[in-house]
Amino acid sequence: MKKSLRMGGIVATAALAAVSLAGCGFGGGTASDGADGKATTLNLLVPSYSDNTQGLWETVIKDFEAANKDITVELEVQSWDNLNDVVTTKVQGNKAPDIMNGGPFAGFAADELLYPIEDVVSADTLGDFQESFVESASVDGVQYGAPLLASARALFVNEDLLAQAGVTEVPATWDELLAAATKVSKIGGGVAGYGLPLGSEEAQAESAIWFYGAGGGFGDATEITVDTPENLKGAEFIQKLVEAGATQPDAGATDRSPLMDVFVQGKIGMIIGLPPTVGQIAEGNPEMKYSVNPIPTMDGEPFTLGVADHLMAFKNDGKKQAAITKFLDFFYSADQYVPWVTAEKFLPTTKSGSSAMDSNEDLLPFLEMLPDAQFYPSTNPKWDATNAAFKSLVGQLAQGKDAQAVLSEIQAKADAG
Amino acid sequence: MTPDDMTQSIDEPPVPTGAANGRPRAGVVRARAAAGTRLTDLFSALPWIGPALILIFGVVLFPAVVMIYNSTRDISLSGIDKGSVGFENYETLFAFAPLGGIMVRTVIWVFAVVTIAVLASLALAQFLNKAFPGRQIVRMAVLIPWAASVVMTTLVVYYGLEGYIGIINKFLVDINLIDAPYGWTKNATSAFVWSIGIAVFVSLPFTTYTILAGLATVPADVLEAAKMDGAGRIRTYVAIVLPQLRGALSVAVLINIINVFNSLPILKIMTGSIPGYDADTVMTMIFKYIQNEHKIDVASALSVIAFLIVVVIVAIYVKLVKPMKEL
Repeated sequence: MKKSLRMGGIVATAALAAVSLAGCGFGGGTASDGADGKATTLNLLVPSYSDNTQGLWETVIKDFEAANKDITVELEVQSWDNLNDVVTTKVQGNKAPDIMNGGPFAGFAADELLYPIEDVVSADTLGDFQESFVESASVDGVQYGAPLLASARALFVNEDLLAQAGVTEVPATWDELLAAATKVSKIGGGVAGYGLPLGSEEAQAESAIWFYGAGGGFGDATEITVDTPENLKGAEFIQKLVEAGATQPDAGATDRSPLMDVFVQGKIGMIIGLPPTVGQIAEGNPEMKYSVNPIPTMDGEPFTLGVADHLMAFKNDGKKQAAITKFLDFFYSADQYVPWVTAEKFLPTTKSGSSAMDSNEDLLPFLEMLPDAQFYPSTNPKWDATNAAFKSLVGQLAQGKDAQAVLSEIQAKADAG
Repeated sequence: MTPDDMTQSIDEPPVPTGAANGRPRAGVVRARAAAGTRLTDLFSALPWIGPALILIFGVVLFPAVVMIYNSTRDISLSGIDKGSVGFENYETLFAFAPLGGIMVRTVIWVFAVVTIAVLASLALAQFLNKAFPGRQIVRMAVLIPWAASVVMTTLVVYYGLEGYIGIINKFLVDINLIDAPYGWTKNATSAFVWSIGIAVFVSLPFTTYTILAGLATVPADVLEAAKMDGAGRIRTYVAIVLPQLRGALSVAVLINIINVFNSLPILKIMTGSIPGYDADTVMTMIFKYIQNEHKIDVASALSVIAFLIVVVIVAIYVKLVKPMKEL
């Protein structure tokens, strides 16, 4: 009997633990909501752009709390991989963050979870955002996202490899690219002419390079158009690159980050890169001779793929609007924002930030491209499904599947939503 | 009370055959008198079994019910419940063309991993059951795949197979087995086969130790008797050892089936970057629905199906093999 008493105790403890754990997941207590006008706590959920991200936000928060004694900011940093799961779980548990840094927000806007941005920033801050970002931050004419940072893409060229292969001019059109990449691939020894990352990590970005480059695209806020004659030309050119042996092997399953490492190691002739790529090369292989060039397109027209990430403010119980406004205005002031965005090596989205940074030589080629930037139709409610379809399906192009069939398959997934 | 006595008193038929094996018959008397007091018995037992019941409800039934509930809801991308949709999520799922292939692959995955793991473990356990110098160390070494994190083990192989820097790839080129590095993890079939290999590797310690425990229960005198009767080694193994291992084997197989079916990390790492659904099993597909498409509702529906499949497999297995039955 004594023995079973002890067992009962153990089981009871375990049961208690289990029940209280379960309680955590399903709507536990929330932090103080500041209804009494004293301490307000703002929950800030951000993804990690680099190893600096956490420290940069902590600096901003320290300065902000020093200036606003009645507000504390709780920072939570997550990886991009986890961000969506984390926020979905929080929303389900009625514990959405007050401010979140994220990519697509159309889903949250559709569920009426977000403050229109004009409700949570002052008129000065609102007017300081560059106009080119406003459209992609709005759903049905209401701006929900505060553009936080932007990136543009460009063709990074390993000058040494091109010279070695006898290519004298950086390609500007597809035909030139194909010829140049094929020559570079012939060097041998594991060298690839063009780095084509069609693996799931960021397949939609690489596809955009070719689809928009052919004059096609992904559609707009109301309609997703993947299965178009222009995009078919882009898809067929991708296959042409692969068949000619101008790319690295297994392009359909190669992710972007690992492939970028290979470029930095000097084994790839050309690849599409981002502003942070400059820093990566400086850190990993500073001796490499490279240049940053406009993306080659079918007919040589300039184009770049722009991506803007946003800050968004969740309504929750609606009691923290004033505190959120204070924080966002504080953050977007030039002396906070410019050091932040510079350290993350991305492009600024505010006019004041842009003029403060135009002396930065690393970023200059990207800043110049930004006016021609095309954006994903990320405010389209079906963009998430489209994005997912690209990630899981478009790589089949490089595995020899019929281009038309791949486009139809993605379009069907996108339409299903 | 020994466990043996417990089964006796519960399973005992009312016919008093007890004298035959000479065991005390206390249970029979109590069972006859108990009819009226059964309810009181239950109540007095409640404080003792209550915590266990709470545990079962809290960690087993509650999540299962939430899962089934979610599978009939329309949950938005941001996680808001938009109301009931009946069986629409299941219809979406069954209209999904690659599902058939995914099911077939799941069966191949479970069958291949469990079969190979059990056969290899039988051999390994037989070897470890022999007395030889350093046996203790070898036995400990077998535990290593179990002690290491599955994700870590898989990543080691994954990077070994990498095209540019992979050491396994380089080795295969150096011994002239292949001409140039091959994208093992970038093609569905090869990635799937390698995954099976890793899954076998991480299943070995548990399976081997279960069988080893079974081998320890084979009485030496029976083996000796077989020897005296002139039975050869193979005959002894098939006719004497294997039947004695039935209990250990059936537990090892059952637990492996459930484990391998539910295993995500190996396939997720090894086949994650492959486009299309040619290397997916039910588990990786559930993950893709959540991670890529943010469809918690459809993912729940697939989880329910997976749950049912496991229940059916286990039921068939229990029916056929009767692992709980005493010899």
